Amino acid sequence: MAQFLQQLSNGIVIGATYALIALGYTMVYGIIQLINFAHGEIFMVGAFGGLALYLYALPESVADRGYMLPLVFLAAILTSVIVAIIVERFAYRPLRRAPRLAPLITAIGVSIFLQEAVRLYFPDAKSARPFPEYISKRNVGIGGVGLPIVAIFVIVTAILLMILLQTFIKQSRTGKAMRATSQDPDTARLMGVDTDKIIVITFAIGAALAGVAGVMQGLQFGQISFSIGFTAGIKAFTAAVLGGIGNITGAVLGGFTLGIVEALATQYLSSTYKDVWAFIVLILVLVFRPSGLLGERVATRS
Amino acid sequence: MTLATAAGRLSAQVQARLNGVWRPVVGVSSALLLVGSLLPWLAFSGYPGQLKSAFFLGDAGVRNYTLLLAIGCLILAFTDLPGARKAGLAVSAGALAVSLGTFLAVLNERGGLGAFAIGIILALVGSIGALLGFIAMPAGREPGRPRRRPTPIEILFVVLAQIALLAVVVYTLDVGQNDEERSSRIIGFFLFLIAVCAALNAVGVFGALSTLYRRHRGVTMVAGALAAIAFPFLISQVQDGNAYWIRVAAYIAVFAAAAIGLNIVVGQAGLLDLGYVAFFGVGAYVAALLGDARLTTSSVSLPFYLVIVVSAVAAAIFGVIIGAPTLRLRGDYLAIVTLGFGEIFRLVAQNYDDLTRGPNGISGVPNLKIGSFDFGESHTVLGTKLPYFANYYFIELLLIAFVILVFSRLGTSRIGRAWVAIREDETAAEAMGVNTIAMKLLAFAIGAFLAGGAGAINAHLATQVSPDSYTFLESVTLLAAVVLGGMGTVPGAILGSAVLIALPEKLRTFQDNRLLFYGIALILMMRFRPTGIVSSIRRKLEFDDADPTSGDAVTQAPAASHGKGMVTP
Repeated sequence: MAQFLQQLSNGIVIGATYALIALGYTMVYGIIQLINFAHGEIFMVGAFGGLALYLYALPESVADRGYMLPLVFLAAILTSVIVAIIVERFAYRPLRRAPRLAPLITAIGVSIFLQEAVRLYFPDAKSARPFPEYISKRNVGIGGVGLPIVAIFVIVTAILLMILLQTFIKQSRTGKAMRATSQDPDTARLMGVDTDKIIVITFAIGAALAGVAGVMQGLQFGQISFSIGFTAGIKAFTAAVLGGIGNITGAVLGGFTLGIVEALATQYLSSTYKDVWAFIVLILVLVFRPSGLLGERVATRS
Repeated sequence: MTLATAAGRLSAQVQARLNGVWRPVVGVSSALLLVGSLLPWLAFSGYPGQLKSAFFLGDAGVRNYTLLLAIGCLILAFTDLPGARKAGLAVSAGALAVSLGTFLAVLNERGGLGAFAIGIILALVGSIGALLGFIAMPAGREPGRPRRRPTPIEILFVVLAQIALLAVVVYTLDVGQNDEERSSRIIGFFLFLIAVCAALNAVGVFGALSTLYRRHRGVTMVAGALAAIAFPFLISQVQDGNAYWIRVAAYIAVFAAAAIGLNIVVGQAGLLDLGYVAFFGVGAYVAALLGDARLTTSSVSLPFYLVIVVSAVAAAIFGVIIGAPTLRLRGDYLAIVTLGFGEIFRLVAQNYDDLTRGPNGISGVPNLKIGSFDFGESHTVLGTKLPYFANYYFIELLLIAFVILVFSRLGTSRIGRAWVAIREDETAAEAMGVNTIAMKLLAFAIGAFLAGGAGAINAHLATQVSPDSYTFLESVTLLAAVVLGGMGTVPGAILGSAVLIALPEKLRTFQDNRLLFYGIALILMMRFRPTGIVSSIRRKLEFDDADPTSGDAVTQAPAASHGKGMVTP
């Protein structure tokens, strides 16, 4: 039982990162029906943005101090958001009315480009780079389960952000505009919503969450590399679809489900096939609920 | 946006100043560019293309391209071609890019202006002048529909176009292969090629050609097939029997066969498959296991004509197994499930050591033997020594011919029409009595069958199969080949495969930056040609149909729409 709880909490920690990235996927999908394959790369770029601040901008004497962490987060968020806005403006926006699959290929091109740009032009990024340990990895026991402090931090931050996002989308004027655009962009425009601006804001919010997730990844695993975006991207996309793509609560639910399934399967089934279980669960869920756990609308545009 | 507005304002100023005198400006500038191209560019030797000597004494290097572009400028300025302004802009900008690129590269390498000779200065001044002149040129008429000419002449045009395409391909592959430092010349050539393509497009040559191709389908196909057959002979002649590009061509052909298969699934039936490479992998693994490989886990050995059928059928069965439970999913849900299956296939191949030998894969797959014909031997045909990869290339051409046959017969059949109906509107198709599940399953199985066959040949060509050849990225590349070439068209899938496989090979000269450029190339190609290189008529109509006024204003000319976007009638 203790072991089960342990794995369950490990799964929740992994799931929190997945969920944060999945939110970006699902929001962008919800609003322009684009599978933004470059989103995993935005997450990676964010992590490197945070690392760059630590390495090159902060004075060495204080760079390691815990109170610098908010600055690192800020740098990561800024990097992710700026890159995402540039990508949206120059790669996706010109293709808004192109056939459905064209932006998908563009997204893949962007993904390759960002990965390679970091690998080649971030100093020494060809192999993994260590990430500063701002938050201790020391275990604390909670009800028979040992969790590192950093893991608790990750879960709490992720949940706070999700509540914040939920409130923003439900309550704010911009959130309302976002929902309107996702339901019917043409009508939204007629009602005076600047849809182009809303799309940019959506990209930016998704990117900010991905940037936070990037730093969290660094804090948890102690290192980041140019290739982390790819796997995380695929997993997060899986999570988004699992929950019902386009649905924000669904993305969170999907992220946590995927994380927990992975952790439990690694423990009880076979660790070599860890990723296989994640996909099998996805397939099983979709066979019985063809539009994901919480999805209602079925995407038919092709 | 500010950059675009600034450029817009600048161009308006230029237009005002040079209004009326644009033609002499272009004429004088092009003449400068032409003369500059003939004179020495650099004061030192050793730079690729020997830019130190005058044009006719030895290798002209990138000056070949500026010279041709200068002639292009003159033609465009003094004849009354439709679309001449756009074409002129492309040509002069291309000349500027080539000369400025050389200038900056040398400046960066040598530092100081002492390295340059008079030619490059003239070329720079000339290309800038020509660019300004074309900016000031009035827009003129757009290219219209091509006139109908007598059939033999039209056929002649088609054949000449195919020959030109072949020549361009061979030249593109050959350029810079022997230079010491080849990247500068390859960049120069690509800039030239882009400029020429843009110009030909602007004056309506490509549009006219595609009309001709459509009118004379049979001739186009025969000429294309002959060009494909001639390719290994030509490239062997040009490169003295160097096997490199023939090997690449053999891979392209395998890839193209699979891409046409994917085209049935994605282009015809509209099922987005992100794990297609798994079928290719199943075929390859089955062929390797049955093909008497050196390091393998099975002792079965079958003749190849059986192996290829077994592999294709195995892949088709795999396709049905995947498809049966998942095909009621729609759109992107199906995409992620296929992605999942693709990853599952790769992970199982990587971990199920008893059958697949894990990450090492099955290696030492022997060269093909059909009857007494050994594919591992090179042959001399018509006085040209063909490397042994050419054997594979030719058998793949046969495979492609078969795939095209399947594709075109199915495409116009009841089944093909059912697929299109499903792609356009699944609910409506179902209401009209189309058995959607069965039809989707059939598309999946046929696509898988074709990929399996291609995979079987690939196992022998690559002499090994291992899990890292069947990653998500490979699936994506296949999909990109289909989309880039033009969804739902056969020539598109072939062209797309050729570009996507040959481009990274050609970019090898940039070593580390190779993938970076590849990513940029994908983005740019989609930006400027979102319907693909060869867009099917159907798609074209749909695309042009989609809100021609606001859509085009937004996508085509972001600079122009700025500032007057709020004007309402």
